[in-house]
Amino acid sequence: MAHTSKSKAFRLGLLVFIALVVLTVVEFFLAVYLNVWLLLVIVALCKAGLVIYYYMHVYRLFQADTTLDRNSYAYKLATNRLGLWLFLVSDSFVFGGLMVARINLLGLTHPHLEQTVGLIVTSVLLVSSFFMNRAETAIAHGKRNQFVASTAITLILGIAFLVGVIGVEWRIAPFGPADGAHGAVFYSMTGFHAFHVFTGIIFLAIVLRNGLRGCYSSERHWGVEACAVYWHFVDVVWIFYYPALYLIGTVIE
Amino acid sequence: MKVILSLGLIRGLLWQLLGTALGIGFFTLVRALLGLPSWEAEPAIVVGALFGALFFLLGVGVLNDWLKWAAGEPTEDHVDDSHLGWRRYFGPSLDHKVIGVQYLVLSLVLMSVGGLFALLFRTELAQVQMQFLSLDQYNTLMSLHGMVMIISILMGIAAFMNYLVPLLIGAHDMAFPRLNAFSFWIAVPSAIILLSSLALGGFDTGWTGYPPLSVRAPIGIQMFLLGVSLSGFSSILGGLNIIATIVRMRARSMTPFRMPIFVWSSLATSIISLTATQLIGLSFQMVMLQRLFGMSFFDATKGGNPILFQHLFWFYSHPAVYIFVLPGLGIISELLPVFVRKPLFGYRWIAMSSLGIALVGFLVWGHHMFTSGMAEYLRVPFMYSTLLVAVPTGIKFFSWLATAWQGKISFETPMLFILAGIVVFLLGGLSGPPHAVVSTNLHLHDSYFVVGHFHNAMYGGFVFPFFAAIFYWYPKITGKRLSETLGKIQFWLMAPSFVIMSLLMMRIGLLGMRRRIADYEPAFGFEPYHLIMTIMAFLTALGVVVFFINVIYTQLKGQPVTGNVWNSRSPEWQVPSPMPVHNYERELIVVGEPYDYGSPGSRYVKFVGEA
Repeated sequence: MAHTSKSKAFRLGLLVFIALVVLTVVEFFLAVYLNVWLLLVIVALCKAGLVIYYYMHVYRLFQADTTLDRNSYAYKLATNRLGLWLFLVSDSFVFGGLMVARINLLGLTHPHLEQTVGLIVTSVLLVSSFFMNRAETAIAHGKRNQFVASTAITLILGIAFLVGVIGVEWRIAPFGPADGAHGAVFYSMTGFHAFHVFTGIIFLAIVLRNGLRGCYSSERHWGVEACAVYWHFVDVVWIFYYPALYLIGTVIE
Repeated sequence: MKVILSLGLIRGLLWQLLGTALGIGFFTLVRALLGLPSWEAEPAIVVGALFGALFFLLGVGVLNDWLKWAAGEPTEDHVDDSHLGWRRYFGPSLDHKVIGVQYLVLSLVLMSVGGLFALLFRTELAQVQMQFLSLDQYNTLMSLHGMVMIISILMGIAAFMNYLVPLLIGAHDMAFPRLNAFSFWIAVPSAIILLSSLALGGFDTGWTGYPPLSVRAPIGIQMFLLGVSLSGFSSILGGLNIIATIVRMRARSMTPFRMPIFVWSSLATSIISLTATQLIGLSFQMVMLQRLFGMSFFDATKGGNPILFQHLFWFYSHPAVYIFVLPGLGIISELLPVFVRKPLFGYRWIAMSSLGIALVGFLVWGHHMFTSGMAEYLRVPFMYSTLLVAVPTGIKFFSWLATAWQGKISFETPMLFILAGIVVFLLGGLSGPPHAVVSTNLHLHDSYFVVGHFHNAMYGGFVFPFFAAIFYWYPKITGKRLSETLGKIQFWLMAPSFVIMSLLMMRIGLLGMRRRIADYEPAFGFEPYHLIMTIMAFLTALGVVVFFINVIYTQLKGQPVTGNVWNSRSPEWQVPSPMPVHNYERELIVVGEPYDYGSPGSRYVKFVGEA
């Protein structure tokens, strides 16, 4: 019985990942051939919805308490979840504000960027989200080794994303932060996002280290869950930022 | 000496000094290693200030438990540090009551500083031409007065939300005690950074910091922008904590519509501060980035848009006014029934009106921009949304009048301040719609009328309820009651002189006095008005001095009081004062309506095991 629920959870994670990949491919070709901003927004919303529901488990917020003992782990866990989600709501106002700045200043144009790099970093972050989900599912079912391996892969992919954005894209972009509104918008949006990826990497490193020392169990792994929810949140932000910076509208030089 | 060094605050300040120096040195070293010209003042000082804030937090020790969690070590919950006595008020205590008092003291300190700034430039304004301030000094003091007072107000409301919300809902502490301590301690270095702008050339933008002026201002503006951004985290995380506490920590029998009204208004305030505050931080950081890296967000010559700043800024800064006043209005609704011995009229309407003000508040920011070149078709929607705020606010006034109607009113000091709050907030409220209506707004924009309106709203919605709350809960916090005589002297010094001052502000504003300017045309004949306003400002300040004398006198000479001083039904008064360390020994049970004053035998709460 336990075995079937375990494999079910892993299979669900994989299915959601495949759906996200398909949607990303669809998004890319929609942008290339049609470039209707509304369609891209709809695809992004679908992707975000999948991540928020299946990877971030937003429904856990609305589950009734199993215990009324205020000092119990279960009750505190639910309180912590609420706190984390409130933080994410607050944080999304920062990213939303930057998006407003982008819409206001650039409208239906986007900066001149290398599409391959954009697609690669987006895929890297997407794959990292899959492994993050796998790590959380693994620890929830007591598979320590798989948890450690998946966390490590997520960490490496996170670093790869940062290298891709900061090390490659920022270097090869034909404009600097001081070059007009598109420079300001591009560097601030990717910069704020990269800062969150960076904090997420630190969080992952802490989780990995504590995981190696055996601090988490299938019953008690709030640290892993918090890290996973935060990491997926950073991914959700990129789900909107990628089309906003790379796909929507025409290129401005 | 050893005792002094053991205080978290002192350690933090020393570490902040060290961190600032390290940050500046580190930045300069990196530049030198990269082969750039090694000294550039502005980015070096910004990096130094950031390092300073981080080092302050490390020095205070407020990050210790989180660092332990990160290292996988266990930490202790519910630390009882009451054996430290007065010293725990200077360290990273996790007790929400201690943190509440810390917020209160910080608020009063900042209020004194901001008030002092106001007195300085108010004195300058008493006569035409410049007497003892330079134009730059005037601009800096005027700008800092605004922001220091705003942070003081944020600290003041946080003080009472922290102290009262867990007590009113029967919790032993906040939902996240460590986050609570962090929220307070991040505000201290930010206030220091903010004030350090005085030493770095000041700035001349007013508290709004509009570009392009803020992009051209001296380095002082960077400290202003950074200080405000950092103290925003205090407000954001504090709001998060309050919401989680109200949702998760309420006594089990306390249904939402049996919560005290102050809890409702704290919830409404926290919803705004959790979300909107990020946008003032973002808009200020964008100005910082434009100054540091030349990113042309707001530079119209390079494709930017200065109006964008105003949209982002006012999306917070208008709801911010509701952050400031909602807790104060909650205190008025909370205390009024106690002093008129009658039930609060229309409890549910009051509770919902707080949420209503908070939510409508998100849709009104454009009324600050009618003259800014915002798209004209937006004017009318923003006019109506702004006028809509008057509806929930009117509900509150209606309820207060109906509550006081035919009550057995007693005029202790808290009640006097409550009444002053109602009257002054009414003045502020009635002078609001002229700003909402486009046609009159275009005439009144940037005039002293706005200054008068705003100060009325702040005094009525914050300052007077704040003092009422201090007088009311002082026995709960310290076990001693503030002197009634000194309290009444304070009241009669503050309230009438403030009303005269603000009415004169509105008067000369209508006659054509511009706001924020250091000097004015003598031919307009404003001089006598300005002289009277200056005298009234000094009388108001004298009232605050009397308050401080009152606190010192009470702490030295006051008789201990332990019982239910005001004969209140609220749970925190059902246990002895000062409040025990872990709040309630036994669990709270809600058995009635919160404000049924005057109906014999009815109770709001009892404790488990009590008859």
